[in-house]
Amino acid sequence: MQLIWKNLVPDGPGTVKLKPVEDDDMWHAYNLICPGDTVQATTVRKVLREMASGGRDAERVKLKLEIRVEAVDYDKEGSVLRVRGKNITENEHVKIGQFHTLELELHRPFVISKDIWDSIARDILHQASDPAASADLSVILMQEGLAQLFLIGRSITTVRSRIETSIPRKHGPAIAGYESALKKFFENVLQAWLKHIDFSIVRCVVIASPGFTKDQFRDYLFLEAQRRDLRAVIENKSRIILAHATSGYKHSLKDVLESPNVMNLIKDTKAAQEVRALKDFFTMLSNDSSRACYGPRHVEFANDRMAVETLLITDNLFRNADIAERQRYVHLVESVKDSGGTVHIFSSMHVSGEQLEQLTGIAALLRFPLPELDDLEM
Amino acid sequence: MGTCMVKMPRKVGHAHGYDDDYDDDYDDYYDDYDDSEDAHRSNHDMKGNISSQKLPVAKETARKPIVWSCSICTFDNEESMVVCEICGVFKESFVKSGKEANGIGNDTAAGSMSTMANTQPGKMPVKVAAKEPISADSYEKASMSYERGNTLHSTSTAQKVEIAMLPQEKKLSQPSATLSSNHKLQENLSDTLATTKDSSEVIASSLRQINLDRDRPSASTPISDEQYKPDKWIQLDQDNEALRQLNLAIVGHVDSGKSTLSGRLLHLLGKISKREMHKNEKEAKEKGKGSFAYAWAMDESAEERERGVTMTVAVAYFDSSKYRVVVLDSPGHKDFVPNMISGATQADAAILVVDACIGSFEAGMDGQVPGVAGVGQTKEHAQLVRSFGVDQLIVAINKMDVVGYSKQRYDFIKAQLGVFLRSCGFRDSSVAWVPLSAMENQNLIVPATDARLTSWFQGKCLLEAINSLQPPSRDVSKPLIMPICDVIRTQSMGQVAACGKLETGAIRAGSKVVVMPGCQPATVRSIEQDSNVCSVARAGDNVAVILHGVDSSKLMPGGVICHPDFPVPMAARLELKILVLDVAIPILIGSQVEFHIHHAKEAARIAKIVSLLDQKTGKASKSAPRFLKAKQSAVVEVALDEAVCVQEFSKCKALGRVFLRANGNTVAVGIVTRLIDSVQ
Ligand SMILES: Nc1nc2c(ncn2[C@@H]2O[C@H](COP(=O)(O)OP(=O)(O)O)[C@@H](O)[C@H]2O)c(=O)[nH]1
Ligand SMILES: [Mg+2]
Repeated sequence: MQLIWKNLVPDGPGTVKLKPVEDDDMWHAYNLICPGDTVQATTVRKVLREMASGGRDAERVKLKLEIRVEAVDYDKEGSVLRVRGKNITENEHVKIGQFHTLELELHRPFVISKDIWDSIARDILHQASDPAASADLSVILMQEGLAQLFLIGRSITTVRSRIETSIPRKHGPAIAGYESALKKFFENVLQAWLKHIDFSIVRCVVIASPGFTKDQFRDYLFLEAQRRDLRAVIENKSRIILAHATSGYKHSLKDVLESPNVMNLIKDTKAAQEVRALKDFFTMLSNDSSRACYGPRHVEFANDRMAVETLLITDNLFRNADIAERQRYVHLVESVKDSGGTVHIFSSMHVSGEQLEQLTGIAALLRFPLPELDDLEM
Repeated sequence: MGTCMVKMPRKVGHAHGYDDDYDDDYDDYYDDYDDSEDAHRSNHDMKGNISSQKLPVAKETARKPIVWSCSICTFDNEESMVVCEICGVFKESFVKSGKEANGIGNDTAAGSMSTMANTQPGKMPVKVAAKEPISADSYEKASMSYERGNTLHSTSTAQKVEIAMLPQEKKLSQPSATLSSNHKLQENLSDTLATTKDSSEVIASSLRQINLDRDRPSASTPISDEQYKPDKWIQLDQDNEALRQLNLAIVGHVDSGKSTLSGRLLHLLGKISKREMHKNEKEAKEKGKGSFAYAWAMDESAEERERGVTMTVAVAYFDSSKYRVVVLDSPGHKDFVPNMISGATQADAAILVVDACIGSFEAGMDGQVPGVAGVGQTKEHAQLVRSFGVDQLIVAINKMDVVGYSKQRYDFIKAQLGVFLRSCGFRDSSVAWVPLSAMENQNLIVPATDARLTSWFQGKCLLEAINSLQPPSRDVSKPLIMPICDVIRTQSMGQVAACGKLETGAIRAGSKVVVMPGCQPATVRSIEQDSNVCSVARAGDNVAVILHGVDSSKLMPGGVICHPDFPVPMAARLELKILVLDVAIPILIGSQVEFHIHHAKEAARIAKIVSLLDQKTGKASKSAPRFLKAKQSAVVEVALDEAVCVQEFSKCKALGRVFLRANGNTVAVGIVTRLIDSVQ
């Protein structure tokens, strides 16, 4: 994200102008823009004109509009943010108070004003404009008959392709059918690979699966690469690594990120930090369950006793349309930080964030045991 | 940074330039909240999708058939069961179970009538026939198409009543001789209590806790299972069949010799031709894997041969003097347990193969990596097959040649494993122990010859042990249910066959069926068993059904072939009663799991932990606990990504048993107690 200019008072009002430059930035913008803020951007609107002849003519006009935000929609497929709200700028085509939807896209600057730039909003701004290396990594997660191709960026994970083929199990003479079905499946995965994997962007490609599917596919890939002279594959063999996954479902992506050889490659990234933090939470829960908790009620209970050492929270809890709810979580984060704790804000666009989101979106590791938690209903 | 923009092709039509020039077509920007309408539309689309999947599922009435309640686990067993389905405890006196099951009197039809009134309020068949002639009619019509020439199907109300009352009468005539087994029960109990001192005891006791809430109201439907009257041909010559089919799962830790044992059995029983065997031997030798020659009879795919590991379930057939045996050789490797589950759900009995070698047996018990806590696949498989409802087990202690046919080793293994099996709910009397060597052909189809073994073992050889298994019960009185394990397409003929085991009911060529999901009607063209055409397949048979008139792309493992009037329900949100196995990481609200049910597998998450169940009483001991730990049993709600064919365990066991897996381990086993959002 390019920060073009900034004029704000911490915990007070202010305005910034930003220009998103990569897919990840759209996600940051999504987290930044809340209902109640105002956003200004260039937009196009169709207007009807009365013609002198009495007929009507529709014309597209380009205008600059500022709206007060009522809702924000994130389209991860197209990297587009749709911001809906009421117009607040005097304009010859759009009345004040009329509804309009701004579509924010890559490389189109916008201006955002908030009444209060709280610590979370300032954090997002800071993170978004931090030019730390992005974690672009491709993972092909597969099991016999199912393959998914993921691209893991700094704060978002996207599914680029999903291949599903029914592969018969073996039954005597049908064994030939099994093997040809498997070949066809691999070919489909290879096609997806050629379409979506660009080694000028990704650091490496991980092929992951339970059992031997990953080895089988890699063998197929290398063989075909030789046969068809696929330079992109041949020249980047060293950047293609294998990892074990317990299944071909998306949630197994965390196994892949946790595996030591992958972790080594991405350890400095946000995705890896999140994976580790969540793993620590589970380890604590298994070993000393009274020193870990989850769910807003339990975490707040622990925080009231100054017990939270590490807070894990997903970004979407701050995106709440209810401002009081957002405040509640902002305060929680600030209070944990004030008492010397660590806070990990998970991107709900990564697997570990998705997993945390399922687990109520909030969890904590505690400084000391709180056995009372067991008597508190979830 | 500018280069990052063109990363990867994007799916949505945003191929416009990224410059600040706005000449593009922006039709979307037409008016206020254009896009909200879009949202509406897509919403609508989604609904459309769902409704197109809507199935005319006949949800059953709360079928509370004649049950007896287990004194230990309070599970409601069917009348015909002598021992509790869940915990294996013997049935108590008829009087007591009668009382528990809605206070039925001890005698006469009055009692039977009151049962009906009690158990099926407002759903008495008489009423159905009288008040809803249409539904009765349509049923009649449909069943006629299912099987013409069925003379029993007249529209007379009187007959309907009779039909419905039939099971009740059966109940009354059930001998109360079980009183005498009370004594046995005591024995059995104290036996279990005395021996299960180890930690796994908890599992046994908690398996017993899994019981069903009898009084939960359930939606009613026009056609319930009770109204099903099997056609005449279904029951014909059921008893004078020459050989009964027995589905035998071969399970056990990786490398214990399952494939070798199955291959060897097939070879000895003449199911593998000399030529084939020679070929296998030669090829195995060439690849430097001489010892795998027999295993190759089962491990047919190139990949499996290469790795020396069974990956999917292999099916083979042989005939013993008593049974036509279907051998389901399952993969032992940890990563392939899901395949093993799919295979073993069809089993009537199982052979648990354990490797007698020093260290190998121990690995099978405690996990592969020494020092790392975990469960070996010997234990995991034993637990799983028991929870599939398999209660007869043959433990084949293999590779006895390696340990010099030592009695001491045999006794040690028997003692160790015996405790564990008991804790899983296997009764001592249903477990047979056979020391053998697949490699040296000792104790397989004839008694052993090696003096080191015969000197102390005079028991049954493997084949005799197989023949001594109790024949599986075959429920043909219920409508057809056949979960699809596998689909075979023959490209050349454009034919499609569904393979699997009939759980209930029967089919023959020409039978009309419906395939779920999708509620697609189809006709049975022919039925094959081990490549031989057969005329009829009944409950318990493992067959390939060649279907006609079905969209073969919609036929998938995990589906179910049903009677056209009794399609099984589909649901994506379920209430389960589960027992948590030895897991390291507790189960939380929101935990992601793989959900396995018959041959279907679906990603799911724990939506709610409703309550914890007390280990002793089986009653809810704590509501909304914050997590579940190993060995606890609980009521939970799961949300599946996609709906699966499922039925409450009380109505259909095969469609109501579930397994939850996470991180490559089975984390819980359980039963379906309620379909929360049954798709109609
Ligand atoms: N010594 C000996 N080796 C055996 C015996 N049975 C199997 N094996 C060997 O054990 C290995 C694993 O056998 P396999 O059938 O593939 O095991 P599976 O993984 O359980 O199917 C092979 O090398 C077999 O030759 C036996 O009775 N004695
Ligand atoms: Mg094998």
